[in-house]
Amino acid sequence: MPKLEQNQPTVTMPSSLEGMKGGGIKKRRKKYRDPQALPPVVNTIVSVLLGILAITCIFPFIYVIIISFTSEESIVRNGFQLIPKEWSLDAYHYLWSMKEQLFRSYGVTIFITIVGTIISVFMITFYAYAISRPQFKYRKFFTFLAFFTMLFSGGLVPTYIVITQFLHLKDTIWALILPLSMNAFYIIIMRTFFLKSVSESILESARIDGASELRIFFQIIFPLSLPGIATIALFSTLGYWNDWFTALLYIDNPNLVPLQSLLMKIEANLEFMRQNMDIANMQSSLFNTIPQESAKMAMVVIATLPIAVSYPFFQKYFISGLTIGGVKE
Amino acid sequence: MKSFARDLYKNRIWLLMVLPGTIWLLLFSYLPMFGQVLAFKKFRIDPDGFFASVMNSEWVGFDNFKYLFSTNDAWIITRNTLVYNIIFIVVGLIAAVATAILLSELINKRLSKVYQTSILFPHFISWVIGSYFVFTFLSTENGLLNHVLAWFHVDPVSWYSESKYWPFILVFMSLWKGVGYGSIVYLASIVGIDRTYYEAAMIDGASKWKQIKHVTLPMLKPLMIILTIMNIGRIFNSDFGLFYQVPRDSGALYSVTNVIDTFVYRGLMNLGDIGMSTAAGLYQSAVGFILVIITNYIVRKIDEESALF
Amino acid sequence: MKKKLGILLALVLSIGTILSACSSKEDSAAEKSGKNGQPYEIKWYTVGTPQKDTDKVFAEVNKYLKKKINATVKMTQIDWGDWAQKSQVMINSGEPFDIIFTNGTDYVQNAQKGAFYAIDDMLNNEGKALKQTIDPALLEGIKIDGKTYGVPTNKEAARQSVYTFNKRLVDKYHFDITKVKTLEDLEPMLKVIKEKEPKITPMATFKAYLPFDYIFNGEMPFGIPFEGDRDHVVNPFATDVAMQTYKTMHSYYKAGYLKEDAATSKDSWPMDVENWFVRMGDSQPYADLLWSRSAKYDVVSVPAEQPVTINDSVSGSIQAISATSKNPKKAMEFLTLLNTDEYLRNLVDKGIEGVHYKKNSDGTIEDLPARIDRYNLPTYSLGNHFILYLYKNDPKDKWEKFKEFNESATAAPTLGFHFNSDPVRSELAAITNISKEFYPALATGSVDPESYLPKFNKKLKEAGLDKVLKEIQKQFDDWKKTQK
Repeated sequence: MPKLEQNQPTVTMPSSLEGMKGGGIKKRRKKYRDPQALPPVVNTIVSVLLGILAITCIFPFIYVIIISFTSEESIVRNGFQLIPKEWSLDAYHYLWSMKEQLFRSYGVTIFITIVGTIISVFMITFYAYAISRPQFKYRKFFTFLAFFTMLFSGGLVPTYIVITQFLHLKDTIWALILPLSMNAFYIIIMRTFFLKSVSESILESARIDGASELRIFFQIIFPLSLPGIATIALFSTLGYWNDWFTALLYIDNPNLVPLQSLLMKIEANLEFMRQNMDIANMQSSLFNTIPQESAKMAMVVIATLPIAVSYPFFQKYFISGLTIGGVKE
Repeated sequence: MKSFARDLYKNRIWLLMVLPGTIWLLLFSYLPMFGQVLAFKKFRIDPDGFFASVMNSEWVGFDNFKYLFSTNDAWIITRNTLVYNIIFIVVGLIAAVATAILLSELINKRLSKVYQTSILFPHFISWVIGSYFVFTFLSTENGLLNHVLAWFHVDPVSWYSESKYWPFILVFMSLWKGVGYGSIVYLASIVGIDRTYYEAAMIDGASKWKQIKHVTLPMLKPLMIILTIMNIGRIFNSDFGLFYQVPRDSGALYSVTNVIDTFVYRGLMNLGDIGMSTAAGLYQSAVGFILVIITNYIVRKIDEESALF
Repeated sequence: MKKKLGILLALVLSIGTILSACSSKEDSAAEKSGKNGQPYEIKWYTVGTPQKDTDKVFAEVNKYLKKKINATVKMTQIDWGDWAQKSQVMINSGEPFDIIFTNGTDYVQNAQKGAFYAIDDMLNNEGKALKQTIDPALLEGIKIDGKTYGVPTNKEAARQSVYTFNKRLVDKYHFDITKVKTLEDLEPMLKVIKEKEPKITPMATFKAYLPFDYIFNGEMPFGIPFEGDRDHVVNPFATDVAMQTYKTMHSYYKAGYLKEDAATSKDSWPMDVENWFVRMGDSQPYADLLWSRSAKYDVVSVPAEQPVTINDSVSGSIQAISATSKNPKKAMEFLTLLNTDEYLRNLVDKGIEGVHYKKNSDGTIEDLPARIDRYNLPTYSLGNHFILYLYKNDPKDKWEKFKEFNESATAAPTLGFHFNSDPVRSELAAITNISKEFYPALATGSVDPESYLPKFNKKLKEAGLDKVLKEIQKQFDDWKKTQK
């Protein structure tokens, strides 16, 4: 069987080898229906069903955007409304007034997300690949070593001590990167991907050609496992982007506070004010500088949009058929 | 000993691969684990730092665990935690796999991409904000649902004090937040399936449904099993925000919203006892661990390939 | 096989150890200071949003401190919302630092756990001036098992709960609020407001007041009545006054004077939105003035109780010296100076003269924009109020009135008694859950106390209420013996 080149747009021949992905647009132009595709009626029903799901998921976000444009007074008087009585740009004015901090936090978040994702993808794929190979004598031990940490964690205080007093990472950017760079959950997922998509027979032929294991890893395994790696990369990108707790614990320096942490600070400060109304009302000037609900929602908007729209970038690697069919038994 | 050294040498390339990860695991996961002994101690602070504190704190046996079992509420929280998690695991699995398969089958790929991006959105919304959103629907005075009910001349419902609706609301919210994230890994796995399987099935004249049943699902099976085993390991833990923020900590709903995590959080508010919180975590982990070992054992008996270890 | 794995594990472990050892060499830098006559650096953690000009102000502070006590201070603020969790982790982990802000139950728990340095000896040496300055009621009230574990902020030492009214509405309908003594007295006014002011919620959500001295807080079922038998701890929710009060509250709720979602409400009722008629809060001298200022319309209060000195009010703000401090004496010298030296206290609080505030010819001050934008510190958390400069629009006798207020207060029965909850931890964990289940709904009138209070009390009993009451009584009796 010939090697499949799914993502080459030049393939024009309608071929049954073409999977469900790629080339679809060209085919439809020729009024050709892929025999593997869903029947039109079913496809419509599925589209509508998924459409409802998508709207249910995106709707709250629209709602968040609406609140971010609601005046604070209107929120206090009428609560959150889908169509507020009074619109306002105050929240965004507020965000603009703290633009220095915002840009810096964006920088921190982007840096830790990129560096962190690269580090964790390498660490996880190496680890997961090794424990997925039958040649590795201690694979069960190392699988268990990773798995065990999913269930039993050290707890907050001991971890804090290791990071601050052993590794001296407090108030450094590494405190935001290293604690999240491994994750047993991702290792196990990745191992499953490797077990399934990388068959020994491919490797055998490579080994016979005299390729070293590392070379095999980079030249064969990596491209073969792109969907899996993209998934792990996406997960760890989301993990780094959404993380605020490590910053809460390990960062005092405002220059190192990531975006989500800034957002959570606003959330937590609002909660504190609610519980301490007496202090809030006595020292009003103190809390006047603390942003209110609408500003918080505006923060959600600017903290979420960039990462949410980054999804298609990862999705690009969810491509099918890279398995070298000919070698597969 | 010599043969061991030879084994190490033989496996050096693999050992090298797991080395960075292993160092990380030892430093960030295993080293802090000594803190678990606090579950059996009455924590006192020693000026010489945490180690001294741990060492010099008094042993109290299983005293720190007692509060998890001693009252009538203990039964309720255990039941709630278990039942919700079983529902979440089953419904979550079906929803994630179904969504992933449907998304992969959509003919219009661009639409599919838009949908995939959309269903990921809830993952970014914290439960605090999610709870505001739920509140706009369920608020007694201004809630959308009560307005709708009013149109149909149905009496308004005081949602935050009627416990019977909450199991459904909680399951719905959990699905809402998790389905996008959960389906991604299946989606990635589906596109990784070798196309030739489908061709073979088609040549045999298998319908789309049959193809899903006989090719897609079996190919996803290992992943489904692994993820389920891992979820079973966390069966005594729960998503704190979902059970605390979304019901707005309403006392009237405790009978269906109080789970181990919220019980521990509330119970230790006035005590701030790190020994008792460690004990709760250890209890959750230990139960999860035992269940995983059992599940894995059963899986291995049925299908050696799919087992975790 | 097993053995080999063990060896393997040991091998990997040792690599980890070597790695961590490599990175733990640089401890000495911090310790070096303080010896050889170099100024000791005091590490100080306190609450509040970190400010942009902190370094600038503390450069001035340190210039002054080097001269005075041969020390410098590194102040780090931890944001309001992060404070509770972060400070707790820092304390539990035994991180070395010198001074930390604390209050209320956190103070008691941490002191009992041994997190703070007992300063009684130092109060007679380094802190002599401090001891003379601070209201003795404050120092007495925060003692735990006879020892003082922190420096309380010298400000109002007592609590006075008040009903606060929106003055515009009071004037509009000619209400006579001086007659208001109890919750029941509000009824006629609430009725009028409900009928005539559709845009106003008659009662801003609050939890009904019960006249008890609480062992933990208002929602936990342990208290000693302020009036009557002041020797025995009881369950306030089993008393007639609770039933009476909650019935009234429930009738108000049914009449629509409160928001329907009062029990689960998270509304903070900010003063500057005029959508309420009456609310409840804790007062201090000239509180109405402060509130009116932040509301931008007038409010007026009547007391719901006489000023009373309770554990909560004396421990509202404390700067404690950490048990891990490398130089507690220096920390004490600094705290003494902070609470007695007018220049230092105002510098830390208001910033630099001419930059953050300006001084008028009559000695009063005004904030400059930089004080609000770049150096906005929470006054209440830092130290002695009575040596602070007065603002231009402050009443001249502000601090005198504070002192009068403190002197007029009566001491609560448990002032200075801090319960050690170790013997009944399990029971308390269960009871807290039950209280959280019932209290908010009852105290906001959302449910009928006739059926709910008995249910509440029954569950409390099942969870071991009596055992806890007995333990509290025992410790309370023991404590009282030591007081005479």
